[in-house]
Amino acid sequence: MHNRSGQFVVPGDKIGVIEEFASGPGTYVKEGDVRSKIVGRVVVDLLNKRAFIYPSVRAASFPKVGSVIVGQVQSVQSKLALIRIMKVGKRQLSGFFTGVLHASDIGQGLIKNMRDVCLAGDIIQAKVISEKNMMYHLSIAERNLGVIYAFCSQCGYNLSLRERELRCSRCGNVERRKIALNYGVE
Amino acid sequence: MFSRKLIDESGIRADGRRLDELRPIKLEIGVLSNADGSAYIEQGKSKVIAAVYGPRELHPKHLSLPDRAMLRCRYHMAPFSVEQRKSPAPSRREMELSKVVREALEPSIFLEYYPRTSIDVFIEVLEADGGTRCAGITAASLALADAGIPTRDLVSACAAGKVEGLFVLDLTDAEDKASEADVPLAIMPNLGSITLLQMDGMLTLDEFQSIVELAVKGCKQIHSIQREALKAKYVAVKEVVEE
Repeated sequence: MHNRSGQFVVPGDKIGVIEEFASGPGTYVKEGDVRSKIVGRVVVDLLNKRAFIYPSVRAASFPKVGSVIVGQVQSVQSKLALIRIMKVGKRQLSGFFTGVLHASDIGQGLIKNMRDVCLAGDIIQAKVISEKNMMYHLSIAERNLGVIYAFCSQCGYNLSLRERELRCSRCGNVERRKIALNYGVE
Repeated sequence: MFSRKLIDESGIRADGRRLDELRPIKLEIGVLSNADGSAYIEQGKSKVIAAVYGPRELHPKHLSLPDRAMLRCRYHMAPFSVEQRKSPAPSRREMELSKVVREALEPSIFLEYYPRTSIDVFIEVLEADGGTRCAGITAASLALADAGIPTRDLVSACAAGKVEGLFVLDLTDAEDKASEADVPLAIMPNLGSITLLQMDGMLTLDEFQSIVELAVKGCKQIHSIQREALKAKYVAVKEVVEE
């Protein structure tokens, strides 16, 4: 018999034939053979007649609809901001993806100018609301979403939250942002 | 022409190998911390490192393909990899090999799983002593597996050729330079398909067929070494975690 449950497999290894079980995650079918396409261990689900691979390594993750991301604001225009997504959930990406934050997804009534929401360089926590064609649309229309770390536009020092106001602790400049509940934490 | 023959009367080569013997191969996986996947191969005196990044966002974006990932390869030789310093700028030969390596790896990867992204493969030759394109492909395939990118099969590559009238496996630089013909070959061993086949020199059809058969044999040996390397990396890691 070929490889069975618990067996270590590398890409291309034959696990069985389609007459025995259907191909599950981590496997593919070629000319009637079920083969592994990743490095991992075989798991054969005899009840549902399915074979899949418990992976030893996972491929780089992508932002998905609903996932909370952390990114840096790259540029701000009057109605939208471009965000460089660095982190998905708790996982750091090896590269980055670009997301768009539109004025209609801020959630505080009518936003006249995105510069009242965030500025270039700010670190922002946002939720992915659309991923069509690798265009990531983001939203910060929740209390726990928004800017989590910001810099003074006058002197570049970090802004700290004092009495519900963002104030630069070096030059005293007061700025406007849509901040998240956990601003400045972690 | 040569002061010393490359193959003696009993069929032993200059480095003590038999005609159908590979050079000693050392494989290591996950050698680079910043790459998504990486592998290092030492095949005799040839030393090659391969790194894989991705799938990641492709820049500039207009180059991205709507239905699949774009595979980009760079084969590069370090200036100190050969006896005479090599200019670090990509040469004509390196650009061609980059394309050839890409085409050798492309059929193994499920590129259609990651539309509009890029998968970048970097192959750096640290020391060259013949067979670096094959060593690069072998290492790159392991780096892809290390990055967790789904592939149809591992790609194993090996060269064979005709030296002093005899068929030999896995040519060194000296043998390659003196050879009548040299055939680098890459295969997907489980699927039995060839992804790279080149030939330099002249062979009759019969000679060509037996050299390809010899190279396939070499590739299959390399495949089992690749398998062992992956097993050594991942099975060992798991046991450490369990303890």
